[in-house]
This record gives sequence, C-alpha cells and structure tokens, in this order.
Amino acid sequence: MTTKVEPDDPCPSATDGEIAAVNLESARRGAWARFAQNPGLPGVAEAVVDHERLALQFLGDLDALDRLDELASQFASVDESFRAALVQAEVVSTAHCFDDARGYLAWAAQIGAPREAVERQTLAIDQACGAELDTVLVARRWLANASGRLEDLVPLGALLADLEHFAEADAVYRQAFSAYDDVSPFPLAWVCFQLGMLWGELVHPPDPGLAILWYRRAIAYLPAYVKARVHLAEICASQGCTGEAEALLLPALSSRDPEVLWRLADVLTAQGRLEEAKRQLNAARLGYEQLLGGHLLAFADHAAEFYAGSGNDHRRALELARTNVANRPTRRAVNQAHAIAVKFD
Amino acid sequence: MSDHVDGPRSIGDPPADLTDLFVFTSPENPAHTVLAACVFPSAGEDAIFSNIITYSIAVRSVTVAGVGNSAKFQPANDEIRFSFRFERLERDAAGKAVQHGVCKLPGGRELSLTVNDEKGSWTPEGDVRVFAGLRSDPFYLAWIAAELKKAPNFLQHTNVLCMVVEFDTRRVLDLAKGSLFGAIAETVPPQQRSLIAPAVPRIDWIGRPEQTNIRLYNPALSGIHDLRDLWNQQTPFAISNELLPLFLQRLKDSFVDWDMRDGKPDWTPEALEANANVFLDDFLLFDVSKPINDESHLEIEKSTIKGLPYQTGGGRTVDANSIDILLTWLVNRDREFLQGGAAGATKPGMKVFPYFATPNTDLQTVAESVELAATPDEVWSLIGQFGGAWHPLTARVKLTGTGIGQLRTILTLDGREIVERLEAIDDAKRFFRYTSIAGMPVSQYTGALEVKPKGSGSVADWRAQFLATNATDRAVKVMVSNLFRTGLESLKPRFGVAK
Repeated sequence: MTTKVEPDDPCPSATDGEIAAVNLESARRGAWARFAQNPGLPGVAEAVVDHERLALQFLGDLDALDRLDELASQFASVDESFRAALVQAEVVSTAHCFDDARGYLAWAAQIGAPREAVERQTLAIDQACGAELDTVLVARRWLANASGRLEDLVPLGALLADLEHFAEADAVYRQAFSAYDDVSPFPLAWVCFQLGMLWGELVHPPDPGLAILWYRRAIAYLPAYVKARVHLAEICASQGCTGEAEALLLPALSSRDPEVLWRLADVLTAQGRLEEAKRQLNAARLGYEQLLGGHLLAFADHAAEFYAGSGNDHRRALELARTNVANRPTRRAVNQAHAIAVKFD
Repeated sequence: MSDHVDGPRSIGDPPADLTDLFVFTSPENPAHTVLAACVFPSAGEDAIFSNIITYSIAVRSVTVAGVGNSAKFQPANDEIRFSFRFERLERDAAGKAVQHGVCKLPGGRELSLTVNDEKGSWTPEGDVRVFAGLRSDPFYLAWIAAELKKAPNFLQHTNVLCMVVEFDTRRVLDLAKGSLFGAIAETVPPQQRSLIAPAVPRIDWIGRPEQTNIRLYNPALSGIHDLRDLWNQQTPFAISNELLPLFLQRLKDSFVDWDMRDGKPDWTPEALEANANVFLDDFLLFDVSKPINDESHLEIEKSTIKGLPYQTGGGRTVDANSIDILLTWLVNRDREFLQGGAAGATKPGMKVFPYFATPNTDLQTVAESVELAATPDEVWSLIGQFGGAWHPLTARVKLTGTGIGQLRTILTLDGREIVERLEAIDDAKRFFRYTSIAGMPVSQYTGALEVKPKGSGSVADWRAQFLATNATDRAVKVMVSNLFRTGLESLKPRFGVAK
C-alpha cells in the first residue's frame, strides 16, 4: 500500500508564504474594519469568518475563536436574515459546537437560506461528527467530481482517510495537490499537511519518511504553519533529532497554541533540560485550561491527548475524551477514548 | 464592485485580484499618459504584492470598425506591455519589511522600484516613471444594485495596491495608426505550474470597470451560472469564438434587466444588441488626441453607438464616477443621470504623482465589558437610553431630534462638549450604534453599546472604532478606553458583580 512520492517531485509554485501570511493578516484586519463601519455590508461578515478561519487553521491564532464569537454576536444584532444564521452556524461549527450549528442551519433554511449553502455546512458537520458517513461519502465524491477543485478534493480525502481507505485518500490528496492552479500557498500547504497526517499518524504502520516529506513541503509553502511544525517536530523528536525539533517549535511559540509548549517541553525533557521543560509544561497546562474554559468542545480532543501524555492527568484526559466522543462520536474520537481508558486501567 | 473579488478563483490570493484599471492624461504633464492597475480589495496597511504573479498592463491600437447599431472597435494584433514583478520581502536595517520590484517596459527596458516609494522610479531617458504601493481605493460604489437604491459608499476607507506607469505619450505609443487605443490589465501566474491540469493563462483581467460584477454577473437573473471565472480565463483582445455567443447572450440578458430597473424601457432591441457587442470587446478605450476628464469615461463607446463622432478621450481618471456613468447608460441610456449615494471615493485623487491618494490607516479599536449580576433588561433600562446621563463623567445630556439620526450633546464634568449621532437601535436586542460628530479627537468613529445575557446575569459590551486626529493613536485609545471603563465600572455598585 505504499505510494511512491519522490523527494524531487515538482511542487506547484505559489506566492511566498511570508507574503501570504502578511496579506492574510492585512485582509483580515481590512475585513474587520469594513465590518465595524457597516456590519450589514454584503459579504463582509462572511469574509471576516473566512479570514479568521484561515488564521486559526494555518497561523495557530487561537484568539480567532473569541473574535468569531464576537463577530457572530455583533452580526446577529444587526442582521435578521439567513446570512446571520449561516454565519453563526459557521462560527459555532468552527468551535465544534455541532448541535448548535445544526440549530442555526435549520433556522437559516427556514428563513430562506440557499439550499446549497445549508447543505455544504451540513455535510461538513456530518463528516466532523462521523454521522451518516455513507451518505456523506456519496456527496463528497459528487462534489469532487463536479468541480475537480482542491477545496472539494481535500475534504473527500479526509473522509476517505477517516474511513481508513488510505490508498484512495492518498490518491485524492495528490490529485488535489497536482491539480491546483492558483497561487495561494494556503491550499497547497493544507494538502501537504493532510498527506503528512495520513502517512505519519493514520496509516498502520506509519511511514515517517513520507510524513516528514509532506510536512516539510507544508512548511516550505507556509513557514508560519504552526500545526505542520508541531507534527514534524514530533516525528523529529521521536527519531532523536531533538535539536531540529526545537528549531521547528521555537518560531511557533508566538502562536500561543499550548501544543507547541507541550511538544517543546517533551523535547527539552529529552535533552535533559528539565527545569525549562517543567516551565513549558506548566504553561501548556495553563494554556489548555484557558482554552477549555472558553471553548471546551473545540479543544477537548487535543487536551485529552495532552493529559494522557505529558500532562499526566488520567482523570482529566478521560473526562475530556468522553466529552469529545459525546460531541462527535467519530472512529478517531472513540479510539482515543478507548486508548486512554485502557492505558490507565 | 468594479472588479473587486470578481470570481471564486481570485479569492484565494487577494494580491492576484484586480480591482480597477485607469487611463488618463497626466495631471502634471499633458504630454504624458498614465496607466494604472489596482489589486487586493480592502487591503490592510501591510498589504504587499505576490512574488510570483506578473502584473501586466497591455495597450493596443484600436480602430472604429462600425458605428450605430453596427458599432465595433477593432484592436490591432500587436501590443505594448508594461509588466510588474515583485520579490520576496527583505528587511531593512530597522527590521522593517521592504519589497522591491521591477517593471519591464515595452522594448525590453527594465525599471527597478521599491514598493510604497511615492517618488517612484524614472528611466534614465526620462520617458517613463513607475510606482507601486498601497493607496486609498479610488473606486466608489454607492448603490444597492439589486434594488437600484442609493447607499453610502461600500468601499469607504478601504485601500488597494496600485501600480502606476506614466509615460511620454509620443515616445511610447505608436501614433502612426491613430490616436485611439484599448488597454487591459491582467494577473498572470507562472506557467506550467499545475502538475496535471492545463496551465492557467491568467488569474484575473480587466478592461472596462464592471464587466464581471455588474454586466456578466447580474444576480437579478435567476438560475444563471456564474461566468466570471470563465471570463477571467479568456484571452484579452481575443475572446474564444466558441464562448462568444455565451457571453454575448449573458450581456444581452443582463442589459435587458438593467434597462428595466427603473420600469421604463430606454433601449430598442437593436441598440441593446449593439451595446452588448461593444461591451463584449472588453478593453478600456482612450484617445490620446482628445481630452480625458472625470466625465469622459465611456463617451467614446456611447457616442459611437449613437452614430456620432466621439468628442473626448474616454479613458478613466482616478476620480471618474465610473459606476454612475455606467448605470445611467444601462438603465436609462443617459436620459437622466443616476447619482448614487456618494459623490466621491474616500479621498480624491492627487494632482501629483502617483495621483492616487495616500492610503487610509487602519482603524483603532477599543472594546471594554463588564459582567453584572442583574438581568440584561434591568441594565438596559438604564444604559440603553441614548439620552441617558448615567455615566459618572457626564454632567448632562441634551437630545436633539428623535429616533435614528437624533443627536446627543454630552457636557462632561470637565467642561467638554461631545456630539454623537444615533445610527441604529434595537431595544429587543439591547443594542445601539452611534457615530461621533464633534468633541473628540477622532474621525470615522463608530461606537456600539450592547447588553447580553450571561449566566443568571448579564454582560455589557462597549466598543468603538475610529481614527485618531490631532493626537496619537495611543493617546486617543487610552482616552476612549478610560471613558468606557469608568462608565462600565460605575454599573457594578448599582447592579452587582456577576459571580
């Protein structure tokens, strides 16, 4: 089941990642300024959501969740149309509050939202919750075939990976990567990251070599890609390359993602720098608790992993894993809860 | 909007998204012509150009090949081209990001430039000058197009990235074939980038303003496919013969709809078809032998369709009211000028190079909140009165007028007078929005006060966005923040602190 990816395979070129990150921040602030001037302007609230989600996904800007809450609240106070309901659905869905999102979508549909917009979001929620996956797969295949676009191919790849159809997932991801004909580095970095996850964490046994290749490509496209740095650092650390792992994590510290602190603590521990490691670990614990206080469902799975690992709090890990399963009983969530229960049994 | 965010494809990388194209006589030197293209809708202060896109403005000689209902403008096959390329970011000695670029001129000469350097760069021969950088968006759209209802400028206070080329008209353009030209701008990605898909020749292009967002994509036409990305993939000056009928039909359908927006038919089917045919050949027409001014935009096309010789140089100046000129033409065929809800862009153009106004600075934000034990309704009954004098720093408040638009004049304890206007209020949602009219060192000030439920109590949010004037951003932010905090803190003894 090995798919050959040669290191010298050509990569589609894209706008430099540093420029793209500066411009994302620029566009994000520009959209907020327009929203502040006139919150009801067509497309502006939606543009803020898009930019904030990109900042969250790629730059590890976790404050985006609070800003999105604020946006949804402000927008709902000035707009009573389906637009506000769709924006609220998207915002709460980003924070993994899927039941609330379904409620907003139902309301949006009732007050005239275009069917396609409601169905797109519903599909994403069903996939995230592991619900009706056969139906979701049919719909994902149809969308991917119809458009051939990266933004439809990657969710299909992710679903196939969830269903453990790894070879097909790999093929779909690589199709997305190869077919991309635009110049933004974000989508390309996203596919590379997904391929890194596929080969590094989902396939049994994992292929760290391939995972490293794809994570490196993700970072080459977007040096500020926090999650790619964290995942690559984890592999490097597991292979004893702690210096490289540390170098990957240090530039990501400014993101305030506690996973960076946690992985850095692990690296420092491996290097015997125990006092520094302890400080980072405490900061990670504090960071997770702060995030869980505001957005429990968004961070339950990551925090469960932390507490099951270096966070060393079995009870908290299990509690969070169960919360995550109750919110979205995906195969991965159930496996996580099971593994935590077994580990500390 | 002119060509702002004109297709799903261009949303991915905003510096690839062309917003506008301009051609006008240099305000500094009437022997010079200025071409300018803008990208990146609603760009923030730090916006920069992509390092892998080629930004080009191409100009071709054009002849009038037909008039009246046979109106036709025929472009020549050869063209001159100004192409901008930009580099990755560098850091200067102070660590500030700097971007350099180069403009390739007709004939192969290259002119280096530094982004945001207002002086621009001249060729040693002194015949061409270029600029690239952030400027205030010169475009303004002040209509709710679907309802043809006036509105404030939707692009107020926004910026774009501009590329400006000024050249000696006689030394650069070949006037042997005539003085009429057509211009387009395009953003071109590196070729053969995709590994399996055919190369994408361009991400976006623009001729006349609003080909995509108003003429081809008319949301009033139900059940239509969005043709904008397909249009953007066409080769300027050479639209695919296979697709021409599709685009032509869309233009005709769209124009029929526009004609009837005021309920009165002003276009005969023949004239409407002629208009669609002219707009199908999408390039910005200009004649360097005639005056180009703020009113001359589209005059060449309109006169030719009317069967008359054109009188002006057409083109499009920085301050041209292009949207109202276009809508007037489409809706009532110049029977009555349709003036939208704004008389100009955020800032007018400048009479000196680079002619586009300086960028707008980012708005400053202040947000404060307090959590209270009382219910939202209890709190709102006090602070939700626009004319209420509950704030401890307020001596008294005088209201002028009623409802939306009413003014409150606040006399503060230290003797200042602040005037604010109510812009929106919703008692059911416990929310109001206001703007500052006078008394604060700010412009573009919008404030909002809101009370929301939280647990068994409530949370009062007070926020504002503004530009500081006559004081530093920091000083004004501190002042506004203190004002908000003092007010919100004063609610705690009255309503209790949320546990």
